[in-house]
Amino acid sequence: MAEEEHTGGPADSPGRRIWDTGYWGPTVPEEHPAIQAVREKFPEAYVDAVNFRDEMTLRVELPALREVVGFLRDDPSLRYNLLSDLTAVDMLRLRDNPRFDVVVQLYSIPRRQRLRVKAGFNDGDPVPSMVPLYQGANWLEREAYDMFGIVFEGHPDLRRMLLPDDWDEGHPLRKDYPLRGYREYVQPGFENPAPRVRSRFRRP
Amino acid sequence: MSLEITQGTPVEISEERALTDSRRQMVLNMGPQHPSTHGVMRVVLTLEGETIVDCDPVLGYLHRGVEKLGETHRYSQFVPWTDRTDYVAAPSNNLGYILAVEKLCGIEAPERATYWRMVMGELARLASHLVWLGTHALDIGALSMSLYCFRERELILDIFETFCGARLTTNMMEMGGFSRPIPEQLPGMVRDFCNVFPKMQAEYETLLSSNPIWLSRTRGVGVIEPEAAISYSLTGACLRGSGINYDVRKATPYLYYDRMEFEVPLGTRGDVYDRYLVRMEEMRQSISIIEQCMDQMPTDGPLALTESPYVIPEHDNVMKTAEDMQRHFIWVIKGFSPPKGEVYQAIEHSKGELGYYLVSDGTPIPYRVRLRTPDFVNLQSLPYMAQGAALADVVALIGTIDIVLGSVDR
Repeated sequence: MAEEEHTGGPADSPGRRIWDTGYWGPTVPEEHPAIQAVREKFPEAYVDAVNFRDEMTLRVELPALREVVGFLRDDPSLRYNLLSDLTAVDMLRLRDNPRFDVVVQLYSIPRRQRLRVKAGFNDGDPVPSMVPLYQGANWLEREAYDMFGIVFEGHPDLRRMLLPDDWDEGHPLRKDYPLRGYREYVQPGFENPAPRVRSRFRRP
Repeated sequence: MSLEITQGTPVEISEERALTDSRRQMVLNMGPQHPSTHGVMRVVLTLEGETIVDCDPVLGYLHRGVEKLGETHRYSQFVPWTDRTDYVAAPSNNLGYILAVEKLCGIEAPERATYWRMVMGELARLASHLVWLGTHALDIGALSMSLYCFRERELILDIFETFCGARLTTNMMEMGGFSRPIPEQLPGMVRDFCNVFPKMQAEYETLLSSNPIWLSRTRGVGVIEPEAAISYSLTGACLRGSGINYDVRKATPYLYYDRMEFEVPLGTRGDVYDRYLVRMEEMRQSISIIEQCMDQMPTDGPLALTESPYVIPEHDNVMKTAEDMQRHFIWVIKGFSPPKGEVYQAIEHSKGELGYYLVSDGTPIPYRVRLRTPDFVNLQSLPYMAQGAALADVVALIGTIDIVLGSVDR
């Protein structure tokens, strides 16, 4: 399918796009103040910075993630003081190593600017918790633990969030988790259910 | 002093014994089917007498794995699922998801469709706030509020029904605009609603704003300090009630909110009453935004993008022209493939910042769909607010966060 851009903006302002509002900062990483500040402060932790659809993604090394985010929060010229979102992505089908990405969406209320910080890691690596920096990371990290099995180091209360506490069938948002789970569930009253067609997502 | 009981051992009644009894902690399960939890949520409360020592919300009773489902459906097939997350403001959920997909594809809806999206988004905010006001007041004891609020909500649902045929799970927004024409009577209905609603809202305020019972149940209850509000990642009225000025529509405008004139109401004390005032003022601003949209909206013009592979062809043309029929077939059967990349689109939902984070791997099925629902994040502040509060205030605190469990549990 064609990948060229189809812009249908209003006639009075050609080229203006609804999502192009400049609240992700400069689109060139070399001009972005936060990216430059992190590069200077943490030269060994900086990996790269990618821009897609004007959104700036900063990738750092995992051990320095908390220091970098803390620096972005506390630096008086950056002040990313609101943790918008914290989640993870299982990159199993997209790349070999590292398997997971932890994704932190930051927003600066005084500067009205967003930034996304990512760090890659493999299964079992302890991820530094953001709870010492943002109280709001508590449930978001519990959910990431619940759905991906990520262990956050320094989290005060790492329990399952949405699934039952005694759920012993793994972490469902991993890409190798079958869509319908590992077991055949038998409804009460339907002890001999009709066989379900399972084309994809069969248990490996 | 001792008391003789005819059967059994005598019970020692002393002042010391009475004090230790009152200091003894009791664990109380509230929910999951408690009516004031607005769905199925369980709150495990540790009580000392009537004072709450600890509060642990237990979620997941309505967890349906929406994010996993999103990773197995095509982009357009996931839109009905967004209705079912926050089902009292379904058009807002549609809007956030559609904006994220459009950003991923690099397309933008025509002007007229964008204005209609704003109108529907604001109407959804009003409907959601009306449900919040009715149930919140009902929890605290003002039974009649729910009757009035649901009466006005019917008018909004009638508008939704005229627009798209559904009242609750609307599945209203489409990629690149609207494929069906706007019904003729719709602008009149929206105008009528804008005329009639401010009078209705004045009625609510005569019932509540200076009602002594309402004041005593809400003032000074559930205070959130501004620093704590930011640290807990609160958004929406919970954040603005504490005096922090962050409204996504104003701070990082999407759609045409940069063309609108409206104010962001802010609270000063950060208690339940301030959040009530903030939401009431938001409803007035929403009416103003809808009126501005109706004034600025072009009366005719395209409603959807044509020729874009990401957009479903106009409904009328599908049965008339061969090209549109073929494109329709391909769009429905195969879907469309956005370029590889990732986007995060935040909108101001009635409950706070609703964010959709999409990762595309270049196939018609999204690689990762993440819903950052505002009430899930806002609910984290419940233990903070509940500590030291009285047991009876828990219903006021749950109501003031404005949760919908479909959105919290996803």
